[in-house]
Amino acid sequence: MLNLVIDRVGKQYGGKVWALRNFSLELRPGVLGLLGPNGAGKTTLMNIIATITRATEGSVTWNGADLKREPDAVRAVLGYLPQDFGVYPNLNAVEFLEYFAAVKGLDGASARRRIEELLNLVNLTDVRKRPLGGYSGGMKQRIGIAQALLNDPQLLIVDEPTAGLDPEERVRFRNLLSDLSGDRIVILSTHIVSDVEATATEIALISAGTLVTHAPPEALLREAEGRVWEWVIPSAGLNDARQRYLISSTARRSDGVHVRLLAEDAPGGAVPVAATLEDAYLHCLATHRAGRPEIHAV
Amino acid sequence: MTMRVLYHLARADFLERIRRYSFLLTLAFAAGLAYATYSGQISLQLADYRGVYNSAWVGSMMTLVSGAFITLAGFYIVKNCIQRDAQTRVGLVLATTPMSKSLYTLGKAISNFAVLAAMVSVLAVAAVILQLVRGEGGSLEPGKLLAPFVWVALPAILVTAAVAVLFETLPVLRGGVGNVIYLFAWGTCLGVSGVTGANDYLGFGFFMHRMVGALKLIDPSYNGSFALQAGPTVHATKTFLWNGVDWTPQAILSRLQWVAIAIGIAWLSALFFHRFDPAREGWRRKRAAAPRPEPAIASGMPGNGAAAVQLSPLSRSARAGGFSRLVLAELRLMLKGQRWWWYTIAAGLFVASLVTPDVQARQAAAGFAWIWPVLIWSKMGARESRYATEPLVFSCARVLDRQLPAAWAAGVVVAMLTGGGLGLRLLVSGDYTGLAAWVAGALFVPTFALALGVWSGSSKLFEAMYTLWWYAGPMNHAPGLDFMGMAPVRFGAVGYLLAAGVLFAGAYFGRRAKLGYA
Repeated sequence: MLNLVIDRVGKQYGGKVWALRNFSLELRPGVLGLLGPNGAGKTTLMNIIATITRATEGSVTWNGADLKREPDAVRAVLGYLPQDFGVYPNLNAVEFLEYFAAVKGLDGASARRRIEELLNLVNLTDVRKRPLGGYSGGMKQRIGIAQALLNDPQLLIVDEPTAGLDPEERVRFRNLLSDLSGDRIVILSTHIVSDVEATATEIALISAGTLVTHAPPEALLREAEGRVWEWVIPSAGLNDARQRYLISSTARRSDGVHVRLLAEDAPGGAVPVAATLEDAYLHCLATHRAGRPEIHAV
Repeated sequence: MTMRVLYHLARADFLERIRRYSFLLTLAFAAGLAYATYSGQISLQLADYRGVYNSAWVGSMMTLVSGAFITLAGFYIVKNCIQRDAQTRVGLVLATTPMSKSLYTLGKAISNFAVLAAMVSVLAVAAVILQLVRGEGGSLEPGKLLAPFVWVALPAILVTAAVAVLFETLPVLRGGVGNVIYLFAWGTCLGVSGVTGANDYLGFGFFMHRMVGALKLIDPSYNGSFALQAGPTVHATKTFLWNGVDWTPQAILSRLQWVAIAIGIAWLSALFFHRFDPAREGWRRKRAAAPRPEPAIASGMPGNGAAAVQLSPLSRSARAGGFSRLVLAELRLMLKGQRWWWYTIAAGLFVASLVTPDVQARQAAAGFAWIWPVLIWSKMGARESRYATEPLVFSCARVLDRQLPAAWAAGVVVAMLTGGGLGLRLLVSGDYTGLAAWVAGALFVPTFALALGVWSGSSKLFEAMYTLWWYAGPMNHAPGLDFMGMAPVRFGAVGYLLAAGVLFAGAYFGRRAKLGYA
């Protein structure tokens, strides 16, 4: 059974700022949705696991191998799609993937077969001979996805993978992640809660470099259940409502503004509604910031 | 308002540059020039005379050093300011502001000038130290020491800075062709200025005519020879007292005209500046970057993404790809995008250096054969940084002991192929000493590129240093600097082999440090 253990990991930049502190997590096959606000430390964590950067303290082990001493233990089975990456503009899709297949140590025949499958999978077969310099942002993202899957990775780390993809491609990628997750560990970092909702078997919520929650989506949803309300108010009352409640969404309708909010007690006239993962995410963050106890159901 | 915009344009660009690690290497390069002058590796001689190390002589000599080296190497170092704005997409934001094109090109020229001025400042400080250490020219006279920098070096680098902007705005001069053309234009200006005094933005003719005149008054038998030499040379046996240039208004005006010309060049650049319009960024780029429709969702594949993933699992044996496959992949990456005419000229140089009967013509062809791939080598070690593929490449297994050596080997293959005409000739003619020197050169050049690329994260430093080295060594046979082994006195294959070994170790440990992991 594959096993990734992150043990009390911390990362300090420039000897001052801690981007990550005392972070522990143990992962087994499945999709881990990594959620957190901007600057929470998600990318730092993924860079440490992907051996792009070294942790200042703590350890990461892959099947028992300490990555500080044996980074190649994970690199050999790693597929990594960073948030920001470039391509070689003069190469076409096939050449680009052939290059990375060679760097990853795949033999020629296997690489060719795999590249054919991947180009089909990410829907770039028709433009396979076009130089990457002429690709749109979404197409580059898809070539990045193909690159990450080249070596049939046991550990797949994807940072904002659906950024730049159109809705159809986004759905296809979500399905792909779900299908891939059976016998491998997938770490998915995103701001798009619906991506996590569709694919994640576990969720880790990070804030200010620390782990807020590590739990299945169901556990998070249970925590928010009974605290989500829909409240119809006149437009003039919206600012006041914002001051008093944690609002997850608003929609203007003919009868006023439909406000979806999180609160322990319902405001007058509000009706309870089923919690979504986005509600649960906001609830967890608010609870954490208020210093209340968190869920650790995994 | 205009001046404020200009100031901030130049300031932001300058700050962005000096906060990069490669800027330190640029200053180190200037310090290296200063040390070479101090140690006599670079010297100014008038036949067997040199000047007494007083403020006037030291200031003039260092100014000539900056004219000879910084105006050449510096051009390659600064010729990327518009490209950087395009790469960082800052240009797209600037293009939407009311800023005029001429203001932009002028701002970039000023920023280029500031970078080059920082290099010249290193030489100016070195000039002070040189005079104090030598202690043979009396007390320090700041006016006499600094005046040559102010009136000669600064206008020269201002012209260089503006020309770099002009070259960047003209699609045909933006790439390798522009680099070669600048080299020839620079060499021509250097040669012509000494003979006729024309096109003397470098200030060579300016000093030469005055120094030669001054020495002739002292020694009528002096033959008029004037040379700024690099490499171990026969040192001057006599000294003469040089009291410096008489900075008359006419002399100063003759230098200030280059300031006006530089401003004119920067202004002219605005006419060709594409203002980051992708449709006007040049025919070649346009072809690659033209927006094309994305492929529609493939037929037979449900648009709702319900298709099941069909990926064949990889066997364990599939992960045993050989090193040679990786070398070929690196070689393809290096050569991809070169046009047919690049290969035609490379083939022509190969043949010319193999069969041309005249020794000088053959050596010239062989020399050009190893400057022709400079832009291919210069990306070695810096490609991942330049194209932002670091996270993709550096997260692969054995990147240090497979990918780095493979990239190096591909660079050596390029050297062997492009310079193969000379190698083959040496082999056929039985000149095994020459062949050994050639092999050492073929190993040295790509290793030098790899090391500078890894350490600076940029291709600029190698382009600048190698061009300078190539000009002084293989082309002008400066002793010790001729890595092709064509100079009458060969530095020896062993020296360059050792240098290649040290540089490879430098590249290895540089990349290792960058990876953060072993």
